[in-house]
Amino acid sequence: MSQSSSPELIEKLLAGLRQAVTEMMNSMAMTEVVFAGRESANSFTISAEVVGLVRLSGHMQGMVGVTCDQEMLRVVVSKIVGLPPEELSQEDLLDGAAELANMVCGGMKTKAQIGGVDLSPPIAIVGKEFVSQWKTNHATHIFTFQMEEGGLRIYSSL
Amino acid sequence: MKLLTIDDSRTIRRVISGIGAMVGFEVLEAENGDAGIRVLEQHGDEVALILLDWNMPGMNGLEVLKHVKADPRWTHIPVMMVTTEGEKDYIIKAIQAGAIHYQTKPFTQEEMAARIMEALGMGGL
Repeated sequence: MSQSSSPELIEKLLAGLRQAVTEMMNSMAMTEVVFAGRESANSFTISAEVVGLVRLSGHMQGMVGVTCDQEMLRVVVSKIVGLPPEELSQEDLLDGAAELANMVCGGMKTKAQIGGVDLSPPIAIVGKEFVSQWKTNHATHIFTFQMEEGGLRIYSSL
Repeated sequence: MKLLTIDDSRTIRRVISGIGAMVGFEVLEAENGDAGIRVLEQHGDEVALILLDWNMPGMNGLEVLKHVKADPRWTHIPVMMVTTEGEKDYIIKAIQAGAIHYQTKPFTQEEMAARIMEALGMGGL
């Protein structure tokens, strides 16, 4: 069994991811976040307004996606940068979505203490609404978090 | 004296600019290594501390750090890495290349403010 498919390593990363989301929201956005559930699927669709994506390579390969709605992203980014939500531009939201994904994945790596995993630069998509299809060979783990501002879902295909 | 943040994320540059202002410093911003070097060319004698991301398009943070430390005009400027990369190997490489601090993202405002003051020899908050 390759290192990338080890269930123990995957669980270690997922535990790190869960901690990373909480820490990121507490420290950068000064927002309380509650873990609201976990599920797994091999094939599903994502219907959202915002997604930040980071690819993992090296010892572990995969993809992590952070999704939420635009209004929630606007409030969270506003809290992070200390500007009123209405002053944020589309570029601010794109960069904010990318940085959220980047910090979640960086935090996940650090918390899990797994070396040799490289992160791609983040990709951000922000729009009124899109639907994407996500199919994976192995199960994708979906974490849901709830905040006062709304919900956040993290898709991890590892 | 000013701080220089080199980070491809405008979100992080804004956060650091806000924290810099909170502790009484103007913050110069650069979105990549090349832009950071250009800022140093123009304002190097005013920069008291560089806050440097690792993963950026073009030159990465380690390459920028080595470039800065190899230039006699800027070698005295302390550099703090501010990055999502928290692996020991990264930290060791950065310290060996001359970084004086290594701050992982995410961070609290208070944590970053204290790190900046410490890096400038002004003690914690």
